[in-house]
Amino acid sequence: MFRAFPTLLRIGLAEAVAYRAELVIWVLTATAPLISMFIWDRVAEEGPLGGWGQGEMARYFLLTLIVRHITSSWVVWELNENIRTGGLSPMLLRPMHPLVFFVAQNLAAMPLRAVILAPLIAGVMWWRPELMWTPEPWTVALGLLSAALAWVIAFTVQVIFGSLAFFSQQSLGLFNVWFGLWSLGSGYLFPLELAPDWLRQGLLWLPFRATLATPVELLAGLVDGPSALRLVLAQLVWVGVFLGIAALTWSRGVRRHEAVGA
Amino acid sequence: MIQVNALSKVYPVPKRGEGLWGSLRSIFSREVEEVRAVADLSFSIQAGERVGFLGPNGAGKTTTLKMLSGLLVPTSGDRVVAGFDPSKRDPAFLRRITLVMGQKQQLLWDLPPIETFALNRALFGLEEAEAKRTQEELIELLELGPLLTRPVRNLSLGERMKCELAAALLHRPDVLFLDEPTIGLDVRAQVAVRRFIAEWNERSGATVLLTSHYMADIAALCPRVIVIAGGALRYDGPLKDLAERYGGGRKVIVRTRDEAPEQLGPFVREDGALVARLPSAEVTAAVDFALRQVAVADLSIEEPPLEDVLSKLFAERT
Repeated sequence: MFRAFPTLLRIGLAEAVAYRAELVIWVLTATAPLISMFIWDRVAEEGPLGGWGQGEMARYFLLTLIVRHITSSWVVWELNENIRTGGLSPMLLRPMHPLVFFVAQNLAAMPLRAVILAPLIAGVMWWRPELMWTPEPWTVALGLLSAALAWVIAFTVQVIFGSLAFFSQQSLGLFNVWFGLWSLGSGYLFPLELAPDWLRQGLLWLPFRATLATPVELLAGLVDGPSALRLVLAQLVWVGVFLGIAALTWSRGVRRHEAVGA
Repeated sequence: MIQVNALSKVYPVPKRGEGLWGSLRSIFSREVEEVRAVADLSFSIQAGERVGFLGPNGAGKTTTLKMLSGLLVPTSGDRVVAGFDPSKRDPAFLRRITLVMGQKQQLLWDLPPIETFALNRALFGLEEAEAKRTQEELIELLELGPLLTRPVRNLSLGERMKCELAAALLHRPDVLFLDEPTIGLDVRAQVAVRRFIAEWNERSGATVLLTSHYMADIAALCPRVIVIAGGALRYDGPLKDLAERYGGGRKVIVRTRDEAPEQLGPFVREDGALVARLPSAEVTAAVDFALRQVAVADLSIEEPPLEDVLSKLFAERT
């Protein structure tokens, strides 16, 4: 598998380049953090909100935009399509797990995403230079680890919903429900720090923040050491939970596929 | 190479009534009907054989190929392919087989075929130098040279099929399951694919099990045929014997210089000529008889069209 991975990444990148127009649209549709940033910027204009001025707001939403794209995946649509149309069959007849191919495909598009995002990032930094900060090396290291874990959770959740296509034609509908809840609970539209205490405490027990707010807050230097470790630990727990569920839905789904065909 | 013993496959198929009421009812009470796609099928195929797998639509051909390649698990019965139980989809097994389904593309749609070849070389963990040699051989045999750098979406159906075959054979499998490899292709592309399959079988010694609705494919490629209908075995044997048994024999047509009689031995008059339908063994005697009895202007012997033979076979038993 490891010998094949560089080739898979190269082909994934070639595919991303072939689909570049689609990718640009895709990236631009996921720029909601920029809209949120402009709204919250106006709110913070009157004076700091919960200790957050315009610089902190811009920093938070810029990092949200970046982490959202680092952790982005589209395997739920790929699986849904391939399971329903029988495209999964040739993949099952290759001596490598089909999900390895999708992992490579999703990771390989990252450099191109970065290129598309770069002008947006530069624009935000020019517009609100006070967002700049000097992060501690440990928050950067832990933040990057946390972003990687967030990607694993986001990808695995999509594999779970994608695998539901083995059983139901409504898997994408169910994923949309998840996405709606995720938008509200992950810190995507508003910083969880500014949410009422009861909501913030409640969201700590749900998986959404682990896929976005955790790495963003770590990279922004908003969290102290013990809290940072607790949050990363929570991410590891979610990784375990979702990997377990994904392994179960995938293996049950493939067994069903073998029983009833595509 | 392939052993199939009492193989059966039953699919649960949901039943739904007509109209809005039918849709609403299906939400609350889900009726399931059992459809027997393959019933008690047994056969064996030796290494290097080319076998045609025939049957009408819905006969269970594709289901059988999927069970032999490990995509479907049978309801009952056993099968062994290249010494493996296909259900496990053991990587060592997957390296020894290939399944080409006419309409199911494994080619990467927006990239040139050469990228799918690279992907398959990586996925199958092939030794680079040897895989490249096989790739060159396939490119030459299938005349893929000019197609390699064009995106798959810009290729014609025939060109895509040829690339599909090359991608499926890069790992030099011992067993080829080909499901309608010439479907939708024009006559020239059909001939090219057919010629390639025969050539590859001779070069590599691979076993070929092929389904096709084009009888020309079967006639050109398969000395042996297995016929199924309604999921059950109808015939397993040489293609020529199939024509003999179900085709009503070979057709001997004698055109006479003078007006032909109404009847002459085994011959009867049809459209001004003497015609007899006879088993192969009786053809020589009948020709000899005609030559002695009448002044022959022209003589021809026709095989029964395979399509007629099969439709007779399907109609007879189903």
